[in-house]
Amino acid sequence: MPGRILKKSWFIKSIFFICAFIILLIGGFTYVKIRDLSQSSDMLTKTYKVNVALEQIFSYLKDAETGQRGFIITNEPLYLEPYTSGRENINNSFAELKELTKDRPELQNNLKELNELIDLRMESFQKAFRFSSVGNYNDPNFKENFLNGKILMDSVRLKITKMIDFENDLLQHRQETYESNLKITPMFLYLVLLFSLMLMFVAYTKIISDLKKLKTSNEQLEIFKETANQSSIIGKHGSWMWDIDNNTFSFSDSLYRLLDEEPQSFKATIENYSKFIHPEDLEKFQKEIKKMTENKDLPFISYRVLLKNGDIRYFKAYGKTVISADRKKQMIGTVTDISDEIENYRLIEERNLELERNNKELSAFNYVASHDLQEPLRKIQTFLSRLEDKEASKFSKTGLTYIDRIKNASTRMRLLIDDLLQFSRTNRADKIFEVSNINLLLEGAKQDLAEVISEENAIIKADTFPSMKVIPFQIQQLFSNLISNSLKYRPKERNPEINITYSNVKASVEAEIIKPLTKQYHKITFTDNGIGFDNEYAQKIFVLFNRLHNKDEYSGTGIGLSICKKIVENHQGFIFAQGTPNVGAIFTVYLPVS
Amino acid sequence: MQDDYINIILADDDEDDRLFFKDAFDELKITTKVKTFNDGVYLMDYLNDKESDLPNVLFLDLNMPRKSGIECLKEIKKNSRFKDVAIAIYSTSASEEDIENTFVMGANVYIKKPNDFKTLKKVLSEVVTINWQYHTNGLNKDNFLLRL
Repeated sequence: MPGRILKKSWFIKSIFFICAFIILLIGGFTYVKIRDLSQSSDMLTKTYKVNVALEQIFSYLKDAETGQRGFIITNEPLYLEPYTSGRENINNSFAELKELTKDRPELQNNLKELNELIDLRMESFQKAFRFSSVGNYNDPNFKENFLNGKILMDSVRLKITKMIDFENDLLQHRQETYESNLKITPMFLYLVLLFSLMLMFVAYTKIISDLKKLKTSNEQLEIFKETANQSSIIGKHGSWMWDIDNNTFSFSDSLYRLLDEEPQSFKATIENYSKFIHPEDLEKFQKEIKKMTENKDLPFISYRVLLKNGDIRYFKAYGKTVISADRKKQMIGTVTDISDEIENYRLIEERNLELERNNKELSAFNYVASHDLQEPLRKIQTFLSRLEDKEASKFSKTGLTYIDRIKNASTRMRLLIDDLLQFSRTNRADKIFEVSNINLLLEGAKQDLAEVISEENAIIKADTFPSMKVIPFQIQQLFSNLISNSLKYRPKERNPEINITYSNVKASVEAEIIKPLTKQYHKITFTDNGIGFDNEYAQKIFVLFNRLHNKDEYSGTGIGLSICKKIVENHQGFIFAQGTPNVGAIFTVYLPVS
Repeated sequence: MQDDYINIILADDDEDDRLFFKDAFDELKITTKVKTFNDGVYLMDYLNDKESDLPNVLFLDLNMPRKSGIECLKEIKKNSRFKDVAIAIYSTSASEEDIENTFVMGANVYIKKPNDFKTLKKVLSEVVTINWQYHTNGLNKDNFLLRL
């Protein structure tokens, strides 16, 4: 998660860059606009000033005219005062106008023309004074001059009005742009500001959500840290870190606990750690550490430590160099206390040895049973046969019956020993599975029983079997035991019939298979027409030494079917029996398809 | 080696078995000369003596003190002097392991000691009258164990 947040930071970064750019843009734009505005307002003031100066010029001119007229009528020099000051005032105003319009040549031209007109007018005033000074008002020249003065005055008025109109037009135009500027600029600025605010808001929500994620991942990290801590206590492992650049070590708290020390109770150094290494392993350990510092790598190493309380513990360590995100080179390693495993291993080893001894004893017992136990029995039987052959005539009838009884008992004992031997042999571990022709194994079993089969006139029908991976002699034994079982419990009134069928079945379909090993099973059924049995004994008949009949009725040791079960279990298969009294029995064998 | 009787040796530590063995040959109508030894060491001492008569058929019990039948078999098969001696294993057990071992080591026939005297006689007469030359040619693991 933090990685994802880091990757997303470009988003926030770009938003901030865009915002900064927009704010700069707004600043620049505002500056330009305000400058424009102040310029427009300057222009406005100038236009007003020009207009005022023009009006003033005209008003001074009119004052001069009024003063002249007053002088002419009264011949009082008092009236001449506005005329004399008028010329000066007009010049002042012109100077002011010139200053105001120095950057506008068209206006300067107009001013020049106006100045000429005013000069002409002033000249006409002079002329008029001359006429008036002599008092000759009826002189036609005076009249003409007076009329000329009026015409000149009119053209000055016209010129000034024109100029003022022109300025007014200009003023109006300027006012319009000024106003439109005033209208559009704040709207635009407001919109841009709104946009950048929106961007900021997006960035803000992003930051907040990232912070939330960081917080949850921090919490998870915290939980993970605690879990790791707990699991290191339970799993008995600790960790260490070697900062390769600075050549410093740090040990986890759990590593101190492994050493039966208070966490961080001593400085994490190789020297301090080496103090705990078992003296016999110290040299080997130091060699490994030397290799580690050279190769910057630590393969699995194991060593013993000697705790302060004298306990010896077995440790296993491993380390790997990693380069962190900020390019720091460090080796991260773990140490595991494997004493329990080693102890368990030792126990298992001990038990294995014990089992081996037991197995040896068992095979010794096998040998005793097969050889030593059989030998006296064989002799009893042989001596009995000698007695019967050579000394029969010397015995009474009862004596002969006793000999007969001894013979029966020893025969039964031989049967028991043989069957027991067979049972213990099926127990043996060295079972070799090989792909076998099952039909041949069945033939072999039939041959073993050929004598009984022909004696009883038994009919054995069998399907053809595919090859299977089995322990051949055991499967032949299984067939032989099952057939001989059927022949033993044959029907008294009819010839025994055994039907052997084969099918390949799915484990899921067969209700009797509870925990199947594979999906497919070979299903072999032996159906006979014998005396059968009550189904309540279906399980019991496979138990060792378990017999359903008195041994006077049917000979048997109660081992044969136990051997069958053992063989089938050796093949990881199942065997089931099903019986109907006086109708027959069905034995079903399931062998896994390998 | 004379031709008018068959030289037979039995090495068996069991006194009763030696008795049955001798009795059986006594009752059989075959001219035989039967010698018995109580264990492998006595047997090998006798056989290794250049003066001794070599048997036509040697019956070896497997389980004997001091030197077992298997050890005797090994020694005999190593020595070309005994190449004409037919070896019959004569044991109480008929375990697959013993049968296979002795077959591989070159014994000629494997006899499981019978349970009654009549069978014993039958088995012994069968073994001593076998034409060993012929029998050895057709010998395989299946007819190695003598069945009657």
